[in-house]
Amino acid sequence: MKNIKAIEEITNFMPPNISFIINRITKDIIYKTEEIRLRLGRPLMICGDGWDYFINKYGQPVTDIDYSYFITKNDISSASEIIQSFSAYSFNEELRNGYITIPGGHRIGITGKTVLENENIKTIKDISFINYRIARSILGVADKVIKYIIDEDLNIFNTIIISPPQCGKTTLIRDMVRQLSNGIQGLRFKGKKIGLIDERSEIAACFMGKPRNDVGYRTDVLDACPKAKGIIIMIRSMSPEIIATDEIGKVEDADALLEAVNAGVKVISTIHGKDIDDLYKKAELKKVHNNIFERIIVLDRSQGVGTIKGVYDNDKNVLFKNNYEVKEKCL
Amino acid sequence: MFIKLIGGMIIILSSSLIGILLANKYIIRIKILKTFRFSIQLLETEIVFTSTPLPYAFNHISSKIDKPWNAFFHEVSENLLKRNFFTMEEAWNSAMNNHLDLPFFKKSDIELIKNFGKVLGKSDTEDQKKHFLLVYAQLDRHEEEAEIEKKKNVKMYKSLGLLLGIAIYIILI
Repeated sequence: MKNIKAIEEITNFMPPNISFIINRITKDIIYKTEEIRLRLGRPLMICGDGWDYFINKYGQPVTDIDYSYFITKNDISSASEIIQSFSAYSFNEELRNGYITIPGGHRIGITGKTVLENENIKTIKDISFINYRIARSILGVADKVIKYIIDEDLNIFNTIIISPPQCGKTTLIRDMVRQLSNGIQGLRFKGKKIGLIDERSEIAACFMGKPRNDVGYRTDVLDACPKAKGIIIMIRSMSPEIIATDEIGKVEDADALLEAVNAGVKVISTIHGKDIDDLYKKAELKKVHNNIFERIIVLDRSQGVGTIKGVYDNDKNVLFKNNYEVKEKCL
Repeated sequence: MFIKLIGGMIIILSSSLIGILLANKYIIRIKILKTFRFSIQLLETEIVFTSTPLPYAFNHISSKIDKPWNAFFHEVSENLLKRNFFTMEEAWNSAMNNHLDLPFFKKSDIELIKNFGKVLGKSDTEDQKKHFLLVYAQLDRHEEEAEIEKKKNVKMYKSLGLLLGIAIYIILI
């Protein structure tokens, strides 16, 4: 059911030819698909976890390139017009970042030729590579870790999630926000007010002001706002008990987080990295190194997307460790 | 005698009504052009200040404006949102065929609206502003022209209708 909806949502943003083909792909393949790729003059492709197929015009996966459907100029220009809701002026900011989030939280990556102005990217023209990335928000991925970030008095710890790209950190933070906001019955944890600063419109995937992903009953979302400013606005205006934000990395972000912590607000955030040491290597985040984060969660994809590698406290003591390394040696 | 008089009056009345009807064409054209200007002013606000995507902007403004533009913009919005068409231009032109095939329009009016549909949403905010300015300038010219024609023709058609009616009556007597 969920899969059908996701595919519908994404084909709604495809040109007629492509959506016709995608709709004819058999269910067992399309439900496993993570990406649908359009490249100008190249075969239509779908990719999943470690596999990809060329697709012919009847929606069948083929191995011979000659039989596959080749993307035409028309397909690409039509696709880029649809993705931008027929309104280039409205998606300038998104184009600059190279992706657009559509209803359902799916992201469409776009590349072509960048136009520069004063060394900044002004816009992308001649769009010729489009990547539809299907988002499947998974409820319950935070079940494993949620008990580590709540203490005996039902307060939560300042938490940071460290993970390489594509390992499910956004999915994890989304589910953590949802659970903390709704309350968790098993732990007798009552929901808390959460201020979510969603700079890249990924966590809540707001569309026309309404979150498309479930982020809980007690969550206020500040969409598309720079994190540093957003954190201050949230503290002043919405009196949150927890502030959640995605991918901190700048000096201002660290300052704002510090301010939030000093104001007695708990923070949940993520950074890119491979291991717990990466947090302490980042010079921009020097200010938050000193034990702001009481819980550190590290992710990787050794056992599929979203594997929790370990949970640590601020003295790097291991609270939870995934012992997959042993398994790997056995294989 | 009495019947003759009534018959004559009916002839004169209907003839002058035809005159008024023909004259109305010129009055309505101005009115429609003015409501078009008003609706695209609303649209400009949606684009420049809130940068709402076109399908939603059309939907917003369609509830605030008069015939025939409300139905027109509503249909463009539906065309795009329901993916009846996959380009802005096609959606715009199809709605034009359905709602703007009116006798009041001149060919140049239709051309103006059609061209406007070609550039809408194709560029960034600054560029869109320029296109709006251009359309306003063109609309100025069309309205001026319509005003002149109105002055010339309305009076003429009205008196012509009346006089024709009287002439027919006199001949029939």
